[in-house]
Amino acid sequence: MFSFSSRSARIAAFFAIAVALLIVLFPFVWVFLESIKPASFGGKPDVWLFPPTSDNWNNVLLQSDVPANILNSFVVAFSTVAIALLVGCPAAYAFSRFRGYQGARYSILAAEMMPPAILILPFFLVLYHLQMIDSLAGVIAAHLSFVVPVVTWFLIGFFDEVPRDLENQAMVDGYTRFQAFYKVILPAVRPGIGAAGVFGFVLSWNDLFYALLLTGGESRTLPVAIAGYWTFRGVDMGKMAVAILIAVIPVLILSFFIQKHLVRGIGGGAVKY
Amino acid sequence: MQLKHRLVLPLALVLSAVMLYPVAFSFWISLHDYRLTRLDDVRWVGFENYKFIATDPGFLNAMGNTITFVIGAVTLELILGLGLAILLQRLVRFQNFIRSTLLAPMFITPIAVGLMFRFLLNSELGVISHYLGEIGITVDWFGPQLALFSIILIDVWQWTPFMVLMFLAGLESLPKSPFEAARIDGASAWLTFRCVTLPMLRPVITVAIIIRALDAFKVFEYVFAITRGGPGDATETIMYYIYQAGFRFFRMGEAAAAAFMLIAVILVLVIALVKATKSSTAGRNNV
Repeated sequence: MFSFSSRSARIAAFFAIAVALLIVLFPFVWVFLESIKPASFGGKPDVWLFPPTSDNWNNVLLQSDVPANILNSFVVAFSTVAIALLVGCPAAYAFSRFRGYQGARYSILAAEMMPPAILILPFFLVLYHLQMIDSLAGVIAAHLSFVVPVVTWFLIGFFDEVPRDLENQAMVDGYTRFQAFYKVILPAVRPGIGAAGVFGFVLSWNDLFYALLLTGGESRTLPVAIAGYWTFRGVDMGKMAVAILIAVIPVLILSFFIQKHLVRGIGGGAVKY
Repeated sequence: MQLKHRLVLPLALVLSAVMLYPVAFSFWISLHDYRLTRLDDVRWVGFENYKFIATDPGFLNAMGNTITFVIGAVTLELILGLGLAILLQRLVRFQNFIRSTLLAPMFITPIAVGLMFRFLLNSELGVISHYLGEIGITVDWFGPQLALFSIILIDVWQWTPFMVLMFLAGLESLPKSPFEAARIDGASAWLTFRCVTLPMLRPVITVAIIIRALDAFKVFEYVFAITRGGPGDATETIMYYIYQAGFRFFRMGEAAAAAFMLIAVILVLVIALVKATKSSTAGRNNV
């Protein structure tokens, strides 16, 4: 399996990767087993064989607020990414192509690094005065603060890779600069836009900190709902396991599509490998 | 207006609304005695909040915990990530499947990761603790001694994949000729790694450390999911301290001041890190 020259190195590498796979996969397997464990086996960590039940899944999907939480998370993540791409694409193109934006490029990176602790207080106070605590619009605004810089930073890197000849040629053919951007360059970076959008979606979908403080009741997102399963009153492991899997599975599926683009995106044109 | 400005205008407007204005507002809050319970009586106090924070044992403890956490987690992730990346690069079969699986943890929501491990490591219900108990090892994962270390391990589980991702890309883009030269000269694997791979990988390593460290400073979800800062204040991190100050005790002014202190600490560390790597690279080039 490995291209090492010595046999012992190959065996050692095999065991190292096997252990790594086990460590990564075990928690998922165990959470899945927990989600189909009958309640009578609860609290017994050493039981591996049991008659599987769909009670927890039925309960969470049909009788709890989790479907509403999923919808909230989806609306927030989708709206955030849509706005981020709308404002990020033209700006990233300008940063990539025009002179005088070197500083702006790095201020995008600085914005990406801003700790949420600084921003949460103003967001909370402004939304409180507007009586918009518990609204999805408030969370969307807060999520824009980290999704917009990340998406823009990703896009700069992808625009940098498109040869300038492409729009020069388009302009020779009679397009204006903006038409060249819109009709020639944008389609050329479509995979990059897709990867940036998916990554932004995952970031928003996964956020707990802002959603915890800016939502409640009707507007709770999925991560906040998951946190609510383990309270001082106790924990309902089976149902929590279901909620965890529901939050994790869509993201894992999405991640398979963007892994190839991720490194280029994180580098944002600043790191040339 | 020129096209290049018109293209940037929407981004500038959005970022002004969700970044510049909040940061300015936050700074204004940090200069006031601003309590959520006394919104009609907000008083200017100058830098009093900063003075209070800088001498508050709770803040200093949280900063210490956070720095321990960042150094511990990033170091472990760096070593494991580099090792795994080198192995994965040499992997010839099942490459896509194994890579994608090993990268999976970095995409899932940290609160789920925190709760999963609270589950697995729980001293009565946890399967890991149970089997360790069977072979005679009792570990109190979230007791006063180990709690911070356990939180570090959870971070390592989730974020080592990020290092693997960066280093794999770095390794695959390295030129082949220096490795062939080393092979022809008969250099051992270790010598090749130390004298060829590592120096060429240095820029990627620097970027990966900075990105990871900046992110690790924001650790909140694991603490929120598992220990709530305890036992005592053993796992209280900066983000959790600010969360408590602002939203449990409603002292917004102090929370804002603590947030700006965090930025100052992060800035100092990033500049130090960049300088350290620059000077060590320059030193080597002179030889």
